[in-house]
Amino acid sequence: MVAVNEVGGSIDDTVQRAQSGDVDAFESLYRVHAPAVYALCRRMIGDEVRARELMQDVFVRAWERLTTFRGQSSLGTWLHRLAVNVVLAHLRTSKRDALRLIETDDAQIAGRSAHAQLDARMDLESALLKLPVGARTVLVLYDVHGYSHDEIAQMTGIAAGTARAQLWRARRALTRLLSP
Amino acid sequence: MIADGTLAPDRTTVVDAHLRACGECASDVARLRTLVSTLRGAPLPAAAVDAEWPAIRARIDQAKMITIADAGASEMAAPRASVFRQYGWLGGIAAAAILTWVALPRLTTRHDDAASSARRDSVRVLSAASDSARLYEEEAQQLLNQLELRRSMLRPEAAASLDHDLRVIDSAIAEVKDAIARDPYNPTLRQMLALSYRHKLDALRRVGNAG
Repeated sequence: MVAVNEVGGSIDDTVQRAQSGDVDAFESLYRVHAPAVYALCRRMIGDEVRARELMQDVFVRAWERLTTFRGQSSLGTWLHRLAVNVVLAHLRTSKRDALRLIETDDAQIAGRSAHAQLDARMDLESALLKLPVGARTVLVLYDVHGYSHDEIAQMTGIAAGTARAQLWRARRALTRLLSP
Repeated sequence: MIADGTLAPDRTTVVDAHLRACGECASDVARLRTLVSTLRGAPLPAAAVDAEWPAIRARIDQAKMITIADAGASEMAAPRASVFRQYGWLGGIAAAAILTWVALPRLTTRHDDAASSARRDSVRVLSAASDSARLYEEEAQQLLNQLELRRSMLRPEAAASLDHDLRVIDSAIAEVKDAIARDPYNPTLRQMLALSYRHKLDALRRVGNAG
């Protein structure tokens, strides 16, 4: 059963039951969406254990905020948006990562030692992690998860033009890291 | 856009013509196409998501227990945040109604209208202050997240200056919060907290607008 709400979105029965406090219904939603949310956290963070912890945080927060979901986007998009916010908040509070985000730029990527570049070529995942967080976020959302620039703009709060610029920047840097 | 096939058809024709004549650009595009294809074809990292559910369920249940325990522990408690989260605006109204329904008879039986009025005002003030702080913090977090996405595009000195300003403001917020914890009904402290939050939002918006 699908209900149409006051803003024109539709919310299916399982989501409605979860919104009314049914944890079993929420578990069903978790089993459908957890793999994609985990993949997003893992690609943005790199570390498997940390990614699992963040995925837990995303779903605990999703449970707390589920009543704010109005069906204007799909639940998957809503969860991805939440996941992006959780991951960015985590990166911000992590001193080590925060420093790297401030310091990393294209020149540094290009100027890495041959040894570091070789390592990066060997592993797409580690190459992704060498990108600045803004560029990495847009690249993961666009190229890996298939969101459009407009959707990314909506999820992250940046302009669609900024998302395009970040994608171009990320691809250029990644090509350098992965090229022989 | 040519690399991922999202370029408009009329422009694709023009670009294709150039690529046929320019080996360097053709090579660049070929590399990009390989990259895009690799990214789109790469398997998503998999996790045993079933194994994570018990921990999530435990955290959800724990939050419920804490909410109930807190609500029972203090009749002066403001409406719990989790109630708002659970039921949204409807929960807010319901919580306010329950608070009034529970608190009012107890207060009126004391035949002390002045005291009960003061007490209801205090609850209202604390509740409003708590909600305001939460809203400020949520908006600030949203702006901070947007800033992180743009950070690598900022001039290093602008980023360093902002970080310094934020550290000073956050320190001020923490100090005012400590003072409010010791003196929760002091209106001057609440005004100072609101002012500090507004400074933080202004600083973040300025950078956002400049970007």
